[in-house]
Amino acid sequence: MQLEIRDLSKRYANGVQALQQVSLTVPPGMFGLLGPNGAGKSTLMRTLATLQSADSGTATLGDIDILRQPERVRAVLGYLPQDFGVYPKVSAVELLDHFARLKGLVDGKTRRATVEALLERVNLHAVRKQKLGGFSGGMRQRFGIAQAMLGNPKLVIVDEPTAGLDPEERVRFHNLLADIASDVVVILSTHIVSDVADLCANLAVINQGRLLLTGEPNALVADLHQRIWRKVVTKVEAEALKAQVKVVSTRLQGGRTVVRAFGVDAPGAGFEAAEPDLEDVYFCSIAGHLKTPLAQAA
Amino acid sequence: MTMLAVAWFDFGRRLRMISTYVYFVVLGGLAGLWMAAAGGAIAGAIVSFGGDKVLINGTYALAIGIGVFGFMGIIVIGSIVGRAIQQDYEYGTYHFFFTAPIHKRDYFFGRLLGAWATLLLVFSGIAIGVLVGSHWPGVDPARVVAVPSVQSFLRPYLFILLPNVLWLGGCFAVLAALTRQMAPVYVAGVVALVGYLFALDLLGNLDSKMLAAMLDPSGVTALDLTARYWTVAQKNGDEIGLTGALLWNRVLWLALGLAVTVLGYRAFRMETANVGGDRQRAGTDNAAAPTVARVPALAAPAARLDRSTGAFLRMLPGLTRLHVSEIVRSPRFLIIVLGGVLLVVGNAWGGGQLYGTSTYPLTYRMLDVVGGLFGIFILVVTAIYAGELVWRERDVRMDDITDSTPAPTWLGFVAKLGALLCLQLLLLMVVMVCSIGVQLAQGFTRIEIGHYLFELGVLQFSGYALLAALALTVHTVVNNKYLGHFAVVVLFLVSSRLPDFGFEDRLYRFASRPDIVYSDLNGYGHFLPAVFWFRAYWGAFAVVLLVLAYALWVRGRDGGWKGRLRIAAARMTPVAWSVAAVAGIAFALSGGYIHYNTHVLNPYYSRTDTQRMQADYERRFKALVQDPQPKVTVADVRADIFPDEQRARLSGTLTLVNKSGQPISNLFVHYPRHARAFKVEPDVPYRVAASEPAMRWHNLALASPLAPGATMAFRFDLEFGARGFRNDGADPTVLGNGTFLNSGLSPDTSLIPSFGYDESAEIASDSDRKKFGLAAKPRMHDLDDVVRRQQSGLTRDADFIDYRAVVCTSADQLPLTSGYVVSDHTDKGRRCIAYQMDSPMAAIYPFVSARYAVKRDVWKGPDGDVAIEIDYHPGHEYNLDRMIAGVKDSLAYFTHNFGAYQHRIVRIIEFPRFSRSGGFAESFPNTVPFNEALGFTARVDDNDPKDLDYPYFVTAHEVAHQWWAHQEVPANVQGAEFITESLSEYSALMVMKHKYGDAKMRRFLKHELDRYLLGRGTEQKGEPTLLRADGAAYVHYQKGALVLYALQDVIGEAALNDALAAFVKRWRFKGPPYPTSRDLLAELRRVTPAEHQGLLEDFIETITLFDDRALKATAKKLPGGKTEVTLVVSAKKLRADGAGNEKEAPMDTPVDIGVQDARGDWLFLEKRRVKSGETTFVLTVDGEPAKAGIDPLHKLIDRDADDNVVNISR
Repeated sequence: MQLEIRDLSKRYANGVQALQQVSLTVPPGMFGLLGPNGAGKSTLMRTLATLQSADSGTATLGDIDILRQPERVRAVLGYLPQDFGVYPKVSAVELLDHFARLKGLVDGKTRRATVEALLERVNLHAVRKQKLGGFSGGMRQRFGIAQAMLGNPKLVIVDEPTAGLDPEERVRFHNLLADIASDVVVILSTHIVSDVADLCANLAVINQGRLLLTGEPNALVADLHQRIWRKVVTKVEAEALKAQVKVVSTRLQGGRTVVRAFGVDAPGAGFEAAEPDLEDVYFCSIAGHLKTPLAQAA
Repeated sequence: MTMLAVAWFDFGRRLRMISTYVYFVVLGGLAGLWMAAAGGAIAGAIVSFGGDKVLINGTYALAIGIGVFGFMGIIVIGSIVGRAIQQDYEYGTYHFFFTAPIHKRDYFFGRLLGAWATLLLVFSGIAIGVLVGSHWPGVDPARVVAVPSVQSFLRPYLFILLPNVLWLGGCFAVLAALTRQMAPVYVAGVVALVGYLFALDLLGNLDSKMLAAMLDPSGVTALDLTARYWTVAQKNGDEIGLTGALLWNRVLWLALGLAVTVLGYRAFRMETANVGGDRQRAGTDNAAAPTVARVPALAAPAARLDRSTGAFLRMLPGLTRLHVSEIVRSPRFLIIVLGGVLLVVGNAWGGGQLYGTSTYPLTYRMLDVVGGLFGIFILVVTAIYAGELVWRERDVRMDDITDSTPAPTWLGFVAKLGALLCLQLLLLMVVMVCSIGVQLAQGFTRIEIGHYLFELGVLQFSGYALLAALALTVHTVVNNKYLGHFAVVVLFLVSSRLPDFGFEDRLYRFASRPDIVYSDLNGYGHFLPAVFWFRAYWGAFAVVLLVLAYALWVRGRDGGWKGRLRIAAARMTPVAWSVAAVAGIAFALSGGYIHYNTHVLNPYYSRTDTQRMQADYERRFKALVQDPQPKVTVADVRADIFPDEQRARLSGTLTLVNKSGQPISNLFVHYPRHARAFKVEPDVPYRVAASEPAMRWHNLALASPLAPGATMAFRFDLEFGARGFRNDGADPTVLGNGTFLNSGLSPDTSLIPSFGYDESAEIASDSDRKKFGLAAKPRMHDLDDVVRRQQSGLTRDADFIDYRAVVCTSADQLPLTSGYVVSDHTDKGRRCIAYQMDSPMAAIYPFVSARYAVKRDVWKGPDGDVAIEIDYHPGHEYNLDRMIAGVKDSLAYFTHNFGAYQHRIVRIIEFPRFSRSGGFAESFPNTVPFNEALGFTARVDDNDPKDLDYPYFVTAHEVAHQWWAHQEVPANVQGAEFITESLSEYSALMVMKHKYGDAKMRRFLKHELDRYLLGRGTEQKGEPTLLRADGAAYVHYQKGALVLYALQDVIGEAALNDALAAFVKRWRFKGPPYPTSRDLLAELRRVTPAEHQGLLEDFIETITLFDDRALKATAKKLPGGKTEVTLVVSAKKLRADGAGNEKEAPMDTPVDIGVQDARGDWLFLEKRRVKSGETTFVLTVDGEPAKAGIDPLHKLIDRDADDNVVNISR
């Protein structure tokens, strides 16, 4: 079962074009959706999660028309929203049980077993009787993934899950995501490139409501071989370079400014070849240096 | 100045919020609507500020109006000031403010100031609404002050509304800031509302008026107390003052508000979420450090998933339970329940008091509390939690998760509805438990669980459930939490007051049903089906509403109307459509059935329709008022009562005699419009010249005129009884048990045909008359109207009559009427008793039938035995002995002092508490129907000095009527009630005084004084003097009792009784012409010594008030052990006109001067003549004087009784 998105568009009442003719195929496995803040990721996620309607286009999951058959989507959906709350006065096990009911786990005994098992998996079993109001951010995210996994979902949508987590919690969370069964479509929306690099077999980059790039991380990185150049410059020089070369990123390294640029050849004096990474792919696409077949077609 | 910047920014932000304007417009609109309605701009509206003559924008009306509307705006105060700081938590913006370099003081009070300023703006809407409403086209100019003073607006704002905004606002802001939630604010609002309701209730009790005034957080009760004895003139012109109870109330609550604000401010920290120890404890997440070791794949264990409708249905109880348990476990719900419990217990404990004496805590009485005060409480809880439930997930930002689960939308929706209903049921059960607790605590064990369950679980719950559906729908549709709350409250308020604005038809009043009153005699009787029909009708409508709410239920992020409507269309599946369709059809069908009953089977008359007919009647037929009509001299009646069918047939023959001296060619016959007339005709040739059944008018032209002195028979055969039901419920004429029919006494309820133009059928209220173009009219004919002296004040078409009747009913019931039993037999399941009166009597008689137990006794009098019979409902034995004692003592006192009793029996008959609209007893010849709630269930504690044996008292009053109204019948002019009601009240007081002593009477008279002074303030036309008493109850009962008791205190009981005996002797069974109050006054003048004649003028011929004060008292020991007390008093006598304008008059009146010791024993108590101004008395007493004063026993009418006595200083 794979997710097919065709020409999806959405414009908000205030005139913001959140999605613009987005087409995307998401195979089973972990799929990273990269994009800066405000790129339309959450709109896309919420649309796929049946929480929002689109103006035009289609989205199908196997034989399910996501936009027209929200009930069928919900039956196979696990959703971890970007920013969610919980009833503060209710314990983890109580609330998870509540969600399990909503997902259709009718039989009390198996439901309880499922809830216990999931809490065990996400390492919250020891604190399952505690009120959710006292959970830390990481614990709450783990609780969130537990609820998303209820009822054996076929489509799991995880929206900005690691934002605000400390490195340790991030690793822990990545492990949990990695454990999701391989026949499940998992969409991980994030603006943190390393999340995708660590976890995803496929990715897409989206900006200003448009899809810029799709592909496998390794292949995309490989495509940039001998295309990324770096140079250590001063701050003033960096500004000047922007007008002259295709700057991918400017960052500080040990107090010095390192400019990475895109080019078939070295863009200028002092530039040396650099090993490309996924971040370069991301920035190149945002900056419009890359043309994927898909984007070219559009 | 940072503070002002914060305030200014917040104020500006709120000015851009639509809700600010919604509050402004709605509050102003409601106030304006109220004004316009009270001013007569809305046809059929009956709202007022207590009396026709109280101007709608007079000082008092403005103060009460602004005060009450302001307090109703408490929800606005909550949602504006409450969010002053809480909004930063809600929006997560607190980071910025707390980290900004601003002082806590500037932030906290700046926000408070901003919110207060917004409230000032919002609440100014009330004044604007009042201004506009009071000059709306159609408002009667006579009901408004053309140019109200600025003060009359300013003062209510300054004294009532703004202090409330300040102190309530401070408390709300602190509460929300410290808890970071809005819910506690609403709870606090509920608590304040409970305080207000409780105070309203307490105000009814003489001893707790001050407590009530202090307890009321709104200050309105305190205002009411300071203006309690204001006359109409004062209410229209006197500016309210910040004095007495109002001042202390304001000081108290402002101080409390200030204290809470300051303490809250100090406790408030500009820190981020410190959830307390909870977080630290939970934060120790002992999960293992990240490991490379792979845990098994993250997938739930295989679980059987069932997403069928049936499966989700089975989950419903569990989900509902989760909602309920979360709410029930929260402290704020416990606070609400506790508030409710206090309200119920407080009310039920002291409820049902009469004259400060309690009644037995019968189940129906307990339930009355729930239907009244606690009902409001349940509504508030419903409104609050409807919003909380609708917003539950969104409030904690969990909606994305729940909304994307496969659970169907209806599941969450229905679970929330279920939770709301469970909360209501829970509250009702709490009520039941509390009520039973109160009953048991008061030693009352006749607990009717079934009655509780039916009333609460079926009758009341079905109504609250409808409102729950409405609240849920409104919150869903409005889709803004705060506006939703506001909309729900406004809807609840408006819909409950619709009939006051002339919208009476229950077919368009959501959730309305006819009133139904339980009686121990009749249960709910045949009134239930109508109630169920209306419930079914509105229940079906509620289902349609719920389908609408379900369709518009917000799931996901599409909050805009376009998206919602599109989703709604998708959600309306065939199943949803069919639910709506079935409900819609049920709504239409039940509506059709109700319409058939209330408009077809029974003609529908709105209040306006009825008034229009009254006006038409007056315009068309008033000219015939002087046309001579024959008088009834003999009534020979048969009453067939069929309790099981709620049907009665009244037939018989009236003998008519032409006493007019002129030939009579037309008979003007009246009988009730709901009667089915089989025969209404004279036994001489006639034709129907005109007939207007709806106006009860039938003009029969006699073929040959009835000559003066000639006699003819008039036969009638009328049937009464339920035909389906009306808008106000089933026809209450005939009941399953406890039917009480009557003829005579009040023409509008008389079931027997009567003759001649009926003046009592005219519109009484002057403002209503004006609406229909009729001139104002006095309540009664002038005292000196010589024509009306020829008419009996009791019945316009009869003087004294001979009376025979046969009353039949089902065999298990006892049929009763006036007269003596001639025969009594039961045949074929029907019991018929023939009655006959052996002497002429006033033409008033009842027909009563119920399953009675009978208690008999005999009073052995000097002129023979008088039988005593009480026909009562088995189980109501509580006060039979008191009533019998009352009859015996009355007969003894009256026959000794006033003259012989004309009958050989006194019958007291219990009737259901709702019959004939109320709690009274009514004296017919030798027969006294007596309301079950009045006396039969009184709980008199003889050891409690405050308790008044009112079963005894009311009995004595009704027995006294056998003299005052039945032997001496008043003329149909002013003063009639003085010589009937006042004299009966006086007679009963004397009987009571001899049994219980003077001190008890003082206690009683204190109540009477309060009620008299209160009554003056709600006068509809103009206060009459006693001499011209015209039906104003506070004059003929309360003032009559007060002044006649005071008169006998001065001239002596024997002298006064001598006058009364002479009066009744002269007028016994005399008329026409009938006696008037002038005849009684002449007798009083005869027995009153010359020096006290002035009292008669003060008491009877004028409206006189005294203002007596003790200024100072000192004591000095005299040689020989005696003490000399020097007492300085001031005195003033005021004469008032009908409107209450007062003028001082010279005073020279005998007044009690008294000195008391510390135990309250009198060392000195004598009458001294007191003149206007200051007087010093030097008195020599034995013992240790502690207090001294003027009129210490409050025998004179004095508004401020508290300043009559002072402590003696040495």
